[in-house]
Amino acid sequence: MIQSQVSVIFNAVSHRYGGREVFTGVNASVQSGQTAVVSGSNGSGKSTLLKIAAGLLSAKSGDVDIHIDGRLCNQMERRRDIGYLSPDLSLYGELTAAENLQFFANMQGIHLTKIDLTHTLTKVGLQGRGRDLVRAYSSGMRQRLKYAYALLGNPRILLLDEPTANLDTAGVELVENIVAEHTRRADGCLTILATNEPREMNWGDQHIVLKAAE
Amino acid sequence: MGRPAHRIESRRVIEAKELEIAPKTHNFFSHGILAEAVSLLKKDLLAEIRTRVAICAVGVFAFSALLLIGLATASLKDTQTISTLSGISRPAWDATSKMSLLWVLLCFAAFAGLAHTFVHEEEAGTVLALRMNAAPESIYFGKFAFNMILLSGVAVCVTPVYVLLTQMPTGSIGLFVLLMGSGCFGLAGTATIIGAIAAKAGGSGALFGAIGLPLLVVFLMLLMNASSTLFTVDAAPVRCVRDIGGLLSYGILIAAVSVLTFKFVWED
Repeated sequence: MIQSQVSVIFNAVSHRYGGREVFTGVNASVQSGQTAVVSGSNGSGKSTLLKIAAGLLSAKSGDVDIHIDGRLCNQMERRRDIGYLSPDLSLYGELTAAENLQFFANMQGIHLTKIDLTHTLTKVGLQGRGRDLVRAYSSGMRQRLKYAYALLGNPRILLLDEPTANLDTAGVELVENIVAEHTRRADGCLTILATNEPREMNWGDQHIVLKAAE
Repeated sequence: MGRPAHRIESRRVIEAKELEIAPKTHNFFSHGILAEAVSLLKKDLLAEIRTRVAICAVGVFAFSALLLIGLATASLKDTQTISTLSGISRPAWDATSKMSLLWVLLCFAAFAGLAHTFVHEEEAGTVLALRMNAAPESIYFGKFAFNMILLSGVAVCVTPVYVLLTQMPTGSIGLFVLLMGSGCFGLAGTATIIGAIAAKAGGSGALFGAIGLPLLVVFLMLLMNASSTLFTVDAAPVRCVRDIGGLLSYGILIAAVSVLTFKFVWED
């Protein structure tokens, strides 16, 4: 039995852009070993909710508490334990895939050897393409590289916004495996997905359905 | 809603090592602002060497401006002007005016190129990854260092050509280099924080100028004071310290305030 070591708790989270309310009073709790799926119509705030959880955006009211090994993490602290992937997030097109990973590893204080790099790229199906500039990648390859980036440093929490966007069938299976393996890790991890894809919704233990505010 | 097959078939707990993709070797924050800033600087330099966006923007502006200044002022070199008030004759284009024009050139060159550092991050969508991985202070220092290197490079290339073209005196070489260094420091610091604000507000070039004006007016006034001191024969040392030190202090002040406030600009 996996002990609950990580938790993400949404406490009456509300957000608005200008005068338009996106969602109000979102309450949910995601624990270690769980995969939560955030769904809802376009504009209902799925991506916004994940950004708030990642500490990239402040909620207008309410908050998202992240506890790691019993400790409540502030907005900056939580980022070291979060792997975040989103269509809004891009990697550097003017750098190669290997240089991108090396750069973000350096920023996180991770020592990434050539073997680590090869292993990382192989894991996401980009073996032999590490020296290519990212701007020469297809959209599917960029999405795979984002997974390599998001998994750097073994984050305890994975926040995946549209996790299989641009991916082929093999890519979707790869993501399914990553999510399954991550959620069942012995050190207590959890995954939150934002999606409306029926297949991805089946990966979740619990569902947070957002309704577009009127 | 059915549960996925992989959950039904296998309940085994996967060891962390099985998934391991390069474990962190030390704490994110103890890793240090300096190391993060250096990593960012290296990345920006590598990207700039490949794309040459900022180098071209700054370089093309600086050298076309140089050419125009050279052509336009060729006839002024030996011209004298007589003040209507005092009746004193003096060179139409004195050393302080030449220095002012050099800094106008460097200011516009800086604003043409240095804003790109943040605007490019916003436009390319890399800003989210950067925010997830570095403290705001590291970002400021990294970008500031990049701007400082770029601006210093431009100043090193442009100034000798400008001095030759306009026959501008340099006064004491040591003080001249100190003034140029202090000026570049202040200008890079100002351009960095204004670039960040403008990028956050949508990357408008007009906005860059509007926000930058109040900061630049003070900076240019200090710069002109310092230039005037530089070209004053037998200027008292205390005046040199006051004027050139004042310019350097302004640069340090801008950088210090920028570091303290950058978090509020950088974070949503």
